[in-house]
Amino acid sequence: MVSKESCRNEIRAAIRQLSDRCLYSAAKWAGEQLVGIEQDSSNFTPSNTRFQRGSSSIRRRFSTNESISTPQPSVGFSQPPATPLPQEDEVIDGDLYLLAKSYFDCREYRRASHVLRDQMSKKSVFLRCYALYLAGEKRKEEEMVELEGPLGKSDAINRELVSLERELSALKRTGAIDSFGLYLYGVVLKEKGNASLARASLVESVNSYPWNWSAWSELQSLCTSIEILNSLNLNNHWMKEFFLGSAYQELRMHSESLAKYEYLQDIFSFSNYIQAQTAKAQYSLREFDQVEIMFEDLLRNDPYRVEDMDLYSNVLYAKEACAALSYLAHKVFLTDKYRPESCCIVGNYYSLKGQHEKAVMYFRRALKLNKKYLSAWTLMGHEYVEMKNTSAAIDAYRRAVDVNPCDYRAWYGLGQAYEMMGMPFYALHYFRKSIFFLPNDSRLWIAMAKCYQSEQLHMLEEAIKCYKRAVNCGDTEGIALNQLAKLHQKLGRNEEAAFYFEKDLERMDAEGLEGPNMFEALVFLATHLKTNKKFDEAEVYCTRLLDYSGPEKEKAKSLLRGIRMAQTGFPSMDMEHFPL
Amino acid sequence: MAGLTRTAGAFAVTPHKISVCILLQLYAPSAQMSLPFPFSSISQHNRLGLYLLSLTKSCDDIFEPKLENLINQLREVGEDMDAWLTDHLTNRFSSLTSPDDLLNFFNDMRGILGSLDSVAAQDDQIILDPNSNLGMFVRRCILAFNLLSFEGVCHLFTSIEVYCREAHSSSAQYDASNDNLGSLIQHDQMDMEKYIMDKATEEIELQKNASGRVPFHLHTPEALFKVTEEQMKHACLLVTRKEKSSTNTKKAEATQLACASSSTVNDTLVDESLFLRTNYQIQGFLMEQADAIETHGSSLSSSSIESFLQKLQNLAPELHRVHFLRYLNKLHSDDYFAALENLLRYFDYSAGTEGFDLVLPSTGCSMYGRYEIALLCLGMMHFRFGHPNLALEVLTEAVRVSQQHSNDTCLAYTLAAMSNLLSEMGIASTTSVLGSSYSPVTSTASLLSVQQRVYILLKESLRRADTLKLRRLVASNHLAMAKFELMHVQRPLLSFGPKASVRHKTCPVSVCKEIRLGAHLLSDFSAESSTMTIDGSLSSVWLKDLQKPWGQPVFSQESGSRKSSTFFQFCDHLVSIPGSVSQIIGASYLLRATSWELYGSAPMARMNTLVYATLFGDSSSSSDAELAYLKLIQHLALYKGYKDAFAALKIAEEKFLTVSKSKILLLKLQLLHEHALHRGNLKLAQRMCNELGGLASTTMGVDMELKVEASLREARTLLAAKQYSQAANVAHSLFCTCHKFNLQIEKASVLLLLAEIHKKSGNAVLGLPYALASISFCQSFNLDLLKASATLTLAELWLGLGSNHAKRALDLLHGAFPMILGHGGLELRARAYIFEANCYLSDPSFSVSTDSDTVLDSLRQASDELQALEYHELAAEAFYLMAMVYDKLGRLEEREEAATLFKKHITALENPQDEEPNMA
Repeated sequence: MVSKESCRNEIRAAIRQLSDRCLYSAAKWAGEQLVGIEQDSSNFTPSNTRFQRGSSSIRRRFSTNESISTPQPSVGFSQPPATPLPQEDEVIDGDLYLLAKSYFDCREYRRASHVLRDQMSKKSVFLRCYALYLAGEKRKEEEMVELEGPLGKSDAINRELVSLERELSALKRTGAIDSFGLYLYGVVLKEKGNASLARASLVESVNSYPWNWSAWSELQSLCTSIEILNSLNLNNHWMKEFFLGSAYQELRMHSESLAKYEYLQDIFSFSNYIQAQTAKAQYSLREFDQVEIMFEDLLRNDPYRVEDMDLYSNVLYAKEACAALSYLAHKVFLTDKYRPESCCIVGNYYSLKGQHEKAVMYFRRALKLNKKYLSAWTLMGHEYVEMKNTSAAIDAYRRAVDVNPCDYRAWYGLGQAYEMMGMPFYALHYFRKSIFFLPNDSRLWIAMAKCYQSEQLHMLEEAIKCYKRAVNCGDTEGIALNQLAKLHQKLGRNEEAAFYFEKDLERMDAEGLEGPNMFEALVFLATHLKTNKKFDEAEVYCTRLLDYSGPEKEKAKSLLRGIRMAQTGFPSMDMEHFPL
Repeated sequence: MAGLTRTAGAFAVTPHKISVCILLQLYAPSAQMSLPFPFSSISQHNRLGLYLLSLTKSCDDIFEPKLENLINQLREVGEDMDAWLTDHLTNRFSSLTSPDDLLNFFNDMRGILGSLDSVAAQDDQIILDPNSNLGMFVRRCILAFNLLSFEGVCHLFTSIEVYCREAHSSSAQYDASNDNLGSLIQHDQMDMEKYIMDKATEEIELQKNASGRVPFHLHTPEALFKVTEEQMKHACLLVTRKEKSSTNTKKAEATQLACASSSTVNDTLVDESLFLRTNYQIQGFLMEQADAIETHGSSLSSSSIESFLQKLQNLAPELHRVHFLRYLNKLHSDDYFAALENLLRYFDYSAGTEGFDLVLPSTGCSMYGRYEIALLCLGMMHFRFGHPNLALEVLTEAVRVSQQHSNDTCLAYTLAAMSNLLSEMGIASTTSVLGSSYSPVTSTASLLSVQQRVYILLKESLRRADTLKLRRLVASNHLAMAKFELMHVQRPLLSFGPKASVRHKTCPVSVCKEIRLGAHLLSDFSAESSTMTIDGSLSSVWLKDLQKPWGQPVFSQESGSRKSSTFFQFCDHLVSIPGSVSQIIGASYLLRATSWELYGSAPMARMNTLVYATLFGDSSSSSDAELAYLKLIQHLALYKGYKDAFAALKIAEEKFLTVSKSKILLLKLQLLHEHALHRGNLKLAQRMCNELGGLASTTMGVDMELKVEASLREARTLLAAKQYSQAANVAHSLFCTCHKFNLQIEKASVLLLLAEIHKKSGNAVLGLPYALASISFCQSFNLDLLKASATLTLAELWLGLGSNHAKRALDLLHGAFPMILGHGGLELRARAYIFEANCYLSDPSFSVSTDSDTVLDSLRQASDELQALEYHELAAEAFYLMAMVYDKLGRLEEREEAATLFKKHITALENPQDEEPNMA
């Protein structure tokens, strides 16, 4: 296993190199991981401990068994990192480079690239190209607004891409390109829509310099299927584990992703990033309580964090924790109100308060900041559904689906909206889609079953099939068993109905529930058994019914009376029971 | 939906408009007396003016020409001073070196406009009247420029640079192409001027309308197209006749059309990125494209459309019609999943409110959207892909939702689609597919048979369409009704009680009436043509007309004489009659042809098909055109023999792509089978039969026509192979299927076949009831020709009972003779002749020696016709009889001749070999 110390040294050097090349978000990410490494007790510094003090009861709570079940031995850790840190090609930056970098830091990209126009060192070339790329991006954004046509976006493109591609590919051919250049080349190729070449270039980049998280995340966005991911030829390095964790998560392989993160936590046991990612995975697995605790913990360590907080707000929304959500919304809004996440959180807050118009407004704002913000589209769809504006809801959901066709929530929302409009048959297609992406969720199966069951369609056989699937998926709300029993009863298949009522009864007993469903089950079972002449068992159910008050009690009494009557018809039985 | 709310019809300054402005400056320079410098004559000056007028008209087109194209056109217009004009144009452009120059340029433009009080103008002075078309154009340009933001001016400037650069890069090419273009244009000049004047006035009126609201997008026809198209597809049921006709010329036209449309698509790919037009224009353009997809079917390359749509979508993500177009495209290239996906996406985004003119803006965008239309489209899609039960479910839901949202228009369409579905997909009368959820309209009908349900649905749809004034729907409903009347016996819905009608017959008069009512559509539309025009398409027609060689008639010389008919004038201005209308009218002709086929009038059927093929060939959808060709070729095979038919088939195959299940492929298999049967090549016949059966889908209730056809042919093959009991079995099960799926007319022919089988197996007594049943079927459906042939079979059966029945058989035959000789095909006639001879010969009271000519004439006729048909078996029989007669008469030489011919046919029958490897 890689020693923590070597990891730390690698990262430290990498941060310097990354920020020297103005790759700030990669440097930020690396910095977060650096302090996430557990400190050796030997060189505690007060600042370090301060940072890690808040950490956490919960971490211990959730990771007690981790040390025992150390995850599968991964190749990555058993070997020393294959890639030694590259030496800087110029130890002291040229004056021009320093000037260019300061221009860059002031966001004067064109100026920066102009300063470096004749510099030939790899580092200068990279910075020049990168600055040019960013300048093009900035201009593109501006043009998008300027040229916006009556029918949506214009054809604004980054005008630097062509020249950049030409230059970088020439450099690549001559071999005068470093891993950062390869990263930029990959980005440019991706923008131009050449995914496979972009992947190749990015793989080359991360293989020669694995500490650039930006390169990894670009690569991850290009891995749209597990086949592509498996076909990548990546060197083993601990960074690869981070990459795989996030890639698995995108591909909805949550347990694999969780395993990766659990494993990484051995070294980076205080990494906020890992904690947030774990929380994300848990959220997808619907472990809301656990997620809430993790996010609380995260916020304690890093109170001004905005990233991923929209997820936290979703959890709070789902748990209807209004006060906590309000607190979160206000805090995040004070931190940075122009982040899509913060708008989304405020939207959730208003939604929970029942002020759906305001919620929509904030989701709109989030979308203005980021048009591809998936969850905002979906949540906006939910709001419109609440407001009974189905066509707007459908539009919003459809946009979510077009951003990411794997978003089962939006598919489900579409189905729901169409069902609301009394088009159950049309809705079925969407439910089928959502189930395709999440086949193990009983709620989706139940929704589809309800569709089949609706009075317009009345396709009960299909509904039964769906409910069966829901039961197999572990229906937590207990709708499916009850419905199955009722449907069978309706179709006159009393044996099946009795079977499911019994199962439902078992479930309710196990969960300690009572209610009309229970009465119904008991009454049916008692009557059914009575007609089948199984008087003993029928009596058991009847006596259970006697414990409750209301009409059911009367029913039970009359049933019992009926049983007695029937039993008197059988002298032998009568003899047996008489002494009692 | 966002796309709708934004302003439509914005007028943006583009480089092309600047070139027009530059030319306008030349045309009317400020402060110039009389003729400006470069023009040598007034007519030359006027010609430029007219050209400019047409250019300003076409500025609302979706595509703008590139500088290169403009210069090419200038050469044609400018004659000797073209060089000067183009030089000036390019110089003027190159003098625009900074955005500031643009500002100055538009300031100068203001100078060429005359002052509004034109009293001050002197004679002879050239002033651009600010209220004239050209003046308005200049004013709009100036206004649009002044409204531009600073960034806007910068962008305009960069696009001008691109505009000029493109022209420079390709300038080398047009010198070469110039020569041959010039010759074309020479004689266009005269017509063009006249044309422009006519059009100009028309156009002005139109623009007035446009400033109000022109309901230009007619989405309805698309929905309807499918209804009629599908209706027609199955309308022809019985095997029929053909004609060679003007296949050659038609083929040429069709390819031209296809080329034209695909070239526009290609053009788009190039310059689309530069000029994105207004919402209005794009919608119009998309309409045109949709029509093109419809008309050319699978022959249009779907990938080129796809890439174009992709591009358009990138440019205008809020333009949801693109998804619908993509759906249409995928539908026609038979890609189920993509079609479904795009259909759903379109309706998710637009809520059914973009592009359907069913929606009135005031009542339209309710909270609920127009999702019933989505259901309607989805239902028709399932129908097309052969999922009748799914389609029925979806349409039922559509009925329910339209009622819920009280969308009567959609309801009318849905009911029409539903009746169409019910009548075409063989929904077995026994299946309870409709379930308990069946819609309120039809719930009363749940006890009724499928036909009665179809009838009720049609009536409902017709009534609604009538009150809503949906002319196209009314027309196509009339046609559907005609079809229904054609195929079904009129029965009172409640057939109890003393008043129930006893007469079970179809009513040809009402068929005729319905067809005529359907065709009334045309007169309605010629009256209100202008409101139906598509904005975008009209303006693009402008420039296309300019480039079209005028001297050359659209139709080739043979048909030139017919050009005077009023319809062709309509065709010349296709703008005024929407394609959908002419398609429905065309469908009515096809239906007429089919009904005549059924009623047994070969010439009338042929004539109507020919009318269709000549008049509606280009505007029809490819499947209708295919059907017309099929009818003509079948006619050829029946009345002229196989040689001609195969030649015609070859031509048709070149015209239509023979994809799987295409009608042409079907026809080919049928012809080959028939041919093989006649020539006694049973192996080949069996193979063809199997292939035919293989084409049909395995699902129950789908491709019924095809399945019936296949098993009918199988039975006939077995019959020819003398395997009587098997043949009878196949025919029996076929009869059961026909009964189950209510295929009444097929029942008649199956009964006839059964009679035929019993006759051949020598069981005449068993055959008689079948023949009689067939005749009674024919009577109630007015199938005169089929009845005649059934009568012939009946007569043959009588004769089979013994020669003492010869007299009766002969009487029967003579009763049917007029029909057989007048309308029957070669085979039927020959059979009748031979049978007549047989009757005479077996009649003991008939003496050969005294009345030999009666017999010999018939036999000679028969043998001639059979030789054309290559029907060896019957021909041998004819010659045998002939030889016998000659023998009796003692004419030995002729006897020998007949005997040799007999031998020849017998050997040919016994050694069948593949003579047609190329066709098989």
